[in-house]
Amino acid sequence: MTLRRNRHPPRPIAWLLLGLGLLHPSHPARSAMAQGAKPAVHVFLQLDAKSSVVEKTLQQHLPQLGIVVFGRFRDFEEGLTTGRPDAVLSIRAVLEQRGKAPSLQGNRGGQSAEPYVLASVNQPLEGSLAGKTIGVVDLLGRDGTQTFLNGLLKATDVKIKRVAKIEDLLPLLEFSAADGIVLPRSMLSRLLERTRLVIKTKELPGGPVGLPAVAVLNPAVRDVIVRCFQELDAPSKRLLGIDSWSVQ
Amino acid sequence: MTAPRTPHWRLAAFSTTLLVFLAGCATTGYESVSPTPMPDLPPIVDPPARSGAPTLLIAMPNSPNFVEVRKSLVSEVRKNFNIYTLAVGPESTPADLAAAIEVVNPVCVVLMNNATMKLYRQYQTAHPTAPMPPAVLLMASFVEEVQARLRRATGIAYEVPGVTAFVHLRSVMSAPINRVGVIYRPPFRKFVEHQKSLAAKEHVELIGVSVPNDVTAAGLRGALHDLANGSKVDAIWMLNDNGLVRDAKFVDDAWRTELSDARLPLIVGVSNLVEPSSPLGTLAVVPDHEALGLQAANLIFDLADNDWKVENHPVELPLSVKTVVDVNLVRASFGLRPDALSHIDKALE
Repeated sequence: MTLRRNRHPPRPIAWLLLGLGLLHPSHPARSAMAQGAKPAVHVFLQLDAKSSVVEKTLQQHLPQLGIVVFGRFRDFEEGLTTGRPDAVLSIRAVLEQRGKAPSLQGNRGGQSAEPYVLASVNQPLEGSLAGKTIGVVDLLGRDGTQTFLNGLLKATDVKIKRVAKIEDLLPLLEFSAADGIVLPRSMLSRLLERTRLVIKTKELPGGPVGLPAVAVLNPAVRDVIVRCFQELDAPSKRLLGIDSWSVQ
Repeated sequence: MTAPRTPHWRLAAFSTTLLVFLAGCATTGYESVSPTPMPDLPPIVDPPARSGAPTLLIAMPNSPNFVEVRKSLVSEVRKNFNIYTLAVGPESTPADLAAAIEVVNPVCVVLMNNATMKLYRQYQTAHPTAPMPPAVLLMASFVEEVQARLRRATGIAYEVPGVTAFVHLRSVMSAPINRVGVIYRPPFRKFVEHQKSLAAKEHVELIGVSVPNDVTAAGLRGALHDLANGSKVDAIWMLNDNGLVRDAKFVDDAWRTELSDARLPLIVGVSNLVEPSSPLGTLAVVPDHEALGLQAANLIFDLADNDWKVENHPVELPLSVKTVVDVNLVRASFGLRPDALSHIDKALE
């Protein structure tokens, strides 16, 4: 249902807007086949680095795999449909939402999961969270993220504000657009480094949340994918927020 | 010392000037730019309509940034709403908008750019007693002021808040950022006042200097000089105001001349002004249009949950940006933080 498609903005507008390379879609879904015969691995993680940096690093250190990193849930979701990856690297909650069992589980300090915290300005959010607005990164879509958040907070009447990237949580606090934000405890140091707001936190009762894991969707390439990730160098694993893998 | 003025720089500056005009003050909409048509853009295709679902009417120009926001918005809301897109151009009239509203009876209208909002205002004026659907305003300058002239409207501001830029600058460079200078013309006074309180939350003192609407290059240079030498600011924030970035010569005579002496980082709102081959802008902070679509979807869901009571919903500030950094300039003049490159969308060297 679209009306009047043939109205054109003036050429200077298009010319100028096209000049802003940044303003094009940041990460269109790509086909796994675009990277030849390599097993295709789709990555969707919220990390302390831009997706492009993570993608470049993994592509360099996993040359036998076709790595595509998605920074946003909708792109990741679209990529699963159109790109048909051989494996997915994401946090366990994302894999489980899609009924995928991990073949490799990432660990950090001997733990396969990490706590999440509720951060707020000046004082911790104590007591009932009923009616409070809580910001969280969109990891699972609207309904899935709401369910995920409810589980972490052990509450059901919280208003959710989803953001596209973990760095977008801070403006929610700066603009008083949310009462609190939820993030992995491992991301807290970066938040504190960026802001001069007085941030108070409390650990969430519904955690911990599984660390990044690899689910192999194509059994024919399971061995090569598992082997490649197991051989990943330490700095790259650190970038992923883990220090070792365990085969599941 | 003034950096060499290359043709490349001049093209970038000219582009930027026009872009600033478009992004920063589109109250005149298409009327002030050339009517030369651009090459065909792919037609916008709405998802198939489903019986019984409420409809969102999206009125917007069919051009890349708007299309990007729409794509993200539609991907979020398509399970809950039918989508009906009205492509708005220079020939569009209030009657076109009225016809679309009559045909689809939308539960909410999404209006993108000032020209589209002007049409909607004319539509409202022509129907003073008719019930109006709630409106969500996106990608226009000074949305709060537009909101005040419309019935049942809210939206998301398009101007990137200064505090967002200042926090990003801090995360890129080692030098401290505690005082930032900004030069503004009278129409931007209210905007700058609001920015001061936001910046204070991150312990940044924003120092504004007002200049006349018809400020000359010499006048602007003097204001910059006062900020750099009198107020001892740590950085300068250039507003997206075409009156301050008129053309290449004006930029050279005012901004470039003064800032090359002052050696201060310059925050800009368009990426074209960050160009390592002819340094001027240090950091560009621009809206993230895909994320803006998500924020708009959140807003629409909030309104739906609140029985479409838009009157209680203030205009939101944009949450997400992209950054472009002249890494050479930062490294040479201000100190590049060790992890900076991991957090920049586009690092230019």
